[in-house]
Amino acid sequence: MAKTYDYLFKLLLIGDSGVGKTCVLFRFSEDAFNTTFISTIGIDFKIRTIELDGKKIKLQIWDTAGQERFRTITTAYYRGAMGIMLVYDITNEKSFENIKNWIRNIEENASADVEKMLLGNKCELEEKRQVSKERGEQLAVEYGIKFFETSAKASIRVEEAFFTLAKDIKTKMDKKLDEVMNYSWFKIQC
Amino acid sequence: MDYELPTEFDIIIVGTGIVESIVSAAASRIGKTVLHIDSQDYYGGFWASFNLEQIDKLCERNQNANVDISADVQLNEGERLIQIGNNNFDLKNTSQKWSIPEKLELKDVSENVEGDNCDVTETEADNGTGTEEVWTQEKLMRESRKFNIDIAPKIQFARGDFVELLISSNIARYSEYRSVSRVLTWLNGELEVVPCSRSDVFSNPKVSVIEKRMLMKLLGACMDSEENEFKDYKIKTFHTYLNDKRLTDNVIHYVLYAIAMSTVDTPCSEGVENIKRFLNSLGRFGKTPFLYSMYGSGELSQAFCRLSAVFGGVYALNQNLGGFVFDAENKFKGLVCGKQQVIKASHLVMGIEKSPEEFVKSVEVSYISRGIFITNGSVKGSEKEHLTLLFYPLKGGRELCNVIELGTLTGTCPKGIYIVHMFTKQINTPKEDLEECVSKLFQSEKEDSDVKDARPQVLWSFYYSAPDTNTANLRKDVPENAFLCPGPDCDLDIDYSIKKAKEIFNSMYPDVEFLPRAPDPEEIIIGDGSDEQIPKK
Repeated sequence: MAKTYDYLFKLLLIGDSGVGKTCVLFRFSEDAFNTTFISTIGIDFKIRTIELDGKKIKLQIWDTAGQERFRTITTAYYRGAMGIMLVYDITNEKSFENIKNWIRNIEENASADVEKMLLGNKCELEEKRQVSKERGEQLAVEYGIKFFETSAKASIRVEEAFFTLAKDIKTKMDKKLDEVMNYSWFKIQC
Repeated sequence: MDYELPTEFDIIIVGTGIVESIVSAAASRIGKTVLHIDSQDYYGGFWASFNLEQIDKLCERNQNANVDISADVQLNEGERLIQIGNNNFDLKNTSQKWSIPEKLELKDVSENVEGDNCDVTETEADNGTGTEEVWTQEKLMRESRKFNIDIAPKIQFARGDFVELLISSNIARYSEYRSVSRVLTWLNGELEVVPCSRSDVFSNPKVSVIEKRMLMKLLGACMDSEENEFKDYKIKTFHTYLNDKRLTDNVIHYVLYAIAMSTVDTPCSEGVENIKRFLNSLGRFGKTPFLYSMYGSGELSQAFCRLSAVFGGVYALNQNLGGFVFDAENKFKGLVCGKQQVIKASHLVMGIEKSPEEFVKSVEVSYISRGIFITNGSVKGSEKEHLTLLFYPLKGGRELCNVIELGTLTGTCPKGIYIVHMFTKQINTPKEDLEECVSKLFQSEKEDSDVKDARPQVLWSFYYSAPDTNTANLRKDVPENAFLCPGPDCDLDIDYSIKKAKEIFNSMYPDVEFLPRAPDPEEIIIGDGSDEQIPKK
């Protein structure tokens, strides 16, 4: 099979239940919004191939499959992840506070050099906002990561966020390509 | 906890070992509602992999943490509350030992730095083989997270039931594998590479031309299994058959102890079956018939849990489990979670260590002697890093000791370090059972001679006895709608566990397909279709 991409990045979505991870995923991968998949059933990962600097980058974006609800995300979920979108809901204070716990979880399980990004989702719901944009920015600065306020529903900055994350990963990867070229593990395929 | 667990499910599964996880995936897959719950805060139970810090505390770990009988629930007439968990299947005879200093003493450091020219050359030469790095407990502990140490290491056959199931069910995407890159055996006091494939046989300088022909002819006969060939060996051993073929000792050794994974006592038919299994799995992935899961065997159960979750299985670890509710007819009714919540289900599936004492009181347990070693080099040094499987014939060839050596490329240990797993059926204590193999593969701990020992040094060791319930009847004394899942066994692979999981699934849901192929993400269309086309292989 001819390779249809130059890079393959595994990305993860992480954050509390109900912050809109699956909606963000669908907005980016299908340019669709659908409120019927409220809880994440049957959604494993989605693929979208984008182009950056003339290179085709296949983004494989994994959803939590509901295992975030009781903090039972498997260690296997984090394996090989190159980028993580930490998502909270700007109308839900608790989901913002929990970002710290998720970062701890990432530090325990993901590769140390995984590229992280903070997303404050549902920014179209300005009237219900509980977390100011400044607090989001401040938290991102604290962890030295980038931050976007997004709306999966109104299609605001979702595209930009994923492209930025992909670009940052690519930059990092190009720097130490030698190390990453060790692809001697494999997936079992029919 | 921010979320409440629902109050009713089709099945409650307690424990996240491999059998429980496969049942969970299979049930969720056909649309059953599954609660998969564990009192531990990690996946896998006795099948888990741990980092160095965690394994350090393993002896103190209680498999039934968070099990609490002080629940305060309203029971209906005739119902009774039974405590979850038993101590019949704990790890026994655990002994952990560091063979390196806790910290590097300052004096040593300065000596190293000031070493004269002669010393420096020596160090450089040694660096080539990577064996001279000075390890301390502190240094290894700093890298604790890079360790994924299996409590029950497993190797899969490339065409075994496990790999076939991964492919047919589309669960393969949740894990990564490496092929075992060499199979070794202990022959004439040395470690030798076993020629696995046809080309291996022909390129092996230690096998003479005549032996090459013998070996190929013999393997051919086993593969074809013509009736006449084995008709006189129905009650004889495979060893007798090999002896009668007038093969050389070398060929007999390679075939008996490595390719057939047998001993002098193995019946002929079993030896032949083993050879078939070995040869059938050749040539699929890599140079040997074997695969190891990246980041440790503990990832295996997680792959099935992920599929279960994708199909709606509800996961809750680290839960306070207050007991099982059974009714007057001894039928499972529900699980007490926390102090008060009773969660109902029509079936209960549990890991054997989670079972109430009364269901397992007559379960016979045999033990596996296991040893884990952290070493500073490979048992057989080589330019490239190998993933090694060795069958070591113990005690005059009566028992095989399985040895798996993992390097940093498997994602189970830091660079410069190897993890060696040894296991065999327990006869005495783990230490005694494995001593012969340990003494052959590693440097002896007594540094009594000036002669440089090229063998790796053991930095840390951990011996334990692990329960094996493969032969036990797990239906006796167990209520009709409750099922026990066996823990890890002494087999190399997990094909027996798959068989057990399938049996449990079929008892609950006869005539329903077991783990049909899960759709690929791009096959699920919700809302607008996408123009994204992923080419299929």
